[in-house]
Amino acid sequence: MEARRQRDPAFSEVPAPPSVAASGPAFPCIVLDRVSLRFQSERRRVQALSDISLSIAEGEFVALLGPTGCGKSSLLRLVSDLLAPTAGTIAVRGEPAAAARRLNQFGFVFQEPALLSWRTTLGNVQLPLEVVGYPPEKRIARCEELLDSVGLLKFKDAYPHELSGGMKQRAAMVRALAWNPSILLMDEPFTALDELTRGQLQDDLLQLWNHERKTILFVTHNISEAIYLADRIVVMSPHPGRIKTVLRPDLPRPRTDDFHETQEFMKWTRMAREALRS
Amino acid sequence: MDAHGPRGVAIMSDAAPTIQNRLRDEILPPLIILALALGFWELSVKILDIPPWLLPAPSDVVDRFFKTTTLWYHTGLTVLEALAGFAVSAVLGVSLSAGIVHSRFLERGVFPYVIVSNAIPIIAIIPLLTIWFGFGIAPKIMICSIISFFPIVTNTTRGLKATDRRIIEFMRSINATRLEILLKVQLPSALPFIFASFKIAASLALVGAVVAEFYSSDRGLGYLIITSATQLRTDLLFVAIVVLAALGVSSFMLFGYLERVTTRGERSDETQ
Repeated sequence: MEARRQRDPAFSEVPAPPSVAASGPAFPCIVLDRVSLRFQSERRRVQALSDISLSIAEGEFVALLGPTGCGKSSLLRLVSDLLAPTAGTIAVRGEPAAAARRLNQFGFVFQEPALLSWRTTLGNVQLPLEVVGYPPEKRIARCEELLDSVGLLKFKDAYPHELSGGMKQRAAMVRALAWNPSILLMDEPFTALDELTRGQLQDDLLQLWNHERKTILFVTHNISEAIYLADRIVVMSPHPGRIKTVLRPDLPRPRTDDFHETQEFMKWTRMAREALRS
Repeated sequence: MDAHGPRGVAIMSDAAPTIQNRLRDEILPPLIILALALGFWELSVKILDIPPWLLPAPSDVVDRFFKTTTLWYHTGLTVLEALAGFAVSAVLGVSLSAGIVHSRFLERGVFPYVIVSNAIPIIAIIPLLTIWFGFGIAPKIMICSIISFFPIVTNTTRGLKATDRRIIEFMRSINATRLEILLKVQLPSALPFIFASFKIAASLALVGAVVAEFYSSDRGLGYLIITSATQLRTDLLFVAIVVLAALGVSSFMLFGYLERVTTRGERSDETQ
């Protein structure tokens, strides 16, 4: 956190050239190499993703920005081995994605909280720990600690239908972090929330990320959300899903609400919008 | 078969009423109607002087109920057959559904026959099973199990398939096995569907037992109904019918309750 705050602001004003995987970071965590994905439906083929090359560094916060249908969600499912690419390779820490999945390196958060209605908050958060094989005696302590960090400890015995939308999504976030996976995959996690709650959850996420530095792949179609959160923004275009350009705002952290009014923020929002439109 | 209208459940999950309120609002009205109907019946029989073999008065039926010492023997036997058949179906049906959900081959290969099992009129199989297994309890249990199999398999399969796709994706992303997904996610989320099917299957099993006893038996409620009808002991016939109705209603209420408990909160906010 300190290191980021002290980063030279003058330097960060110089936009890094929009570049793709070629200028790969020093410690790549996720590497996609010419990945394509085709869905074969009964009547026609759908090219969901075409020739995606991307390298994501350890601990980096990357946003995938693009309109609906550009295959950003499919990209998350490829990285986490829920889908297999029709061409190209995916490596997670030097291993195939399937190996990383077996090692429980992924924490998945969806647009909807997707909690189990018959389990309490605590029970929902504990679910992955039961599967992953986390030591039972540590489960509750770990979950309560995490719930406390997002202000949900009071609601640990509540059922999902008794929670607000924001609380449910917080619980889903905690569930994805419970066994301490190194990579967080977020599929438009805040889209279904109201503006105010979304802002709070964005800050919660940044705080969590500061606390336990994870590699985050964050899908969104919201420009300001991408700029507010990410180190790097991968702008995608649909039909077929391609990487259009990669923006590296490199703006100072920590970011607070005021950040939305800064010149920098405005400038990058404009750039991202133009990149999306072109 | 579908008891999952979001509207219906939303009404049930409204603010919990107190016991007094429930007594007054839900239990009292049907009791009043029942008392009125029985009173009207009793009076009509007395005033019109209807012969008891045609229509016995409610008081005669109650009288017969307490005088029939073998009633519990017959009832016990029928309940045993229905329960055993139902239990077999519940275990086999839920297991088969789990298999169907996990295997395309099984789904395509088995489902047509599940539908066939429903299409064959149960009455037509009873003589066959009697030839094979005799007049004992075994063919009756089979009848009960065959008749209750279809609703259990179709509803459970539907319930298992209705599981939130994203939760399954989440489970797969953390390398959960199929068994873990089934036991921790799919089965619990299908419980309302399963209990809804049990509600139907249990009353069907009861019908199956009685019908099987009609054809070939010297004991059980079905036998009691047939003999009292042929002997024009109409009061005894009414006793048997009332007992059967009570059994049906209690199983319906039990599984309806379980269905509601397992549905808790789920539908009122998730499915709009």
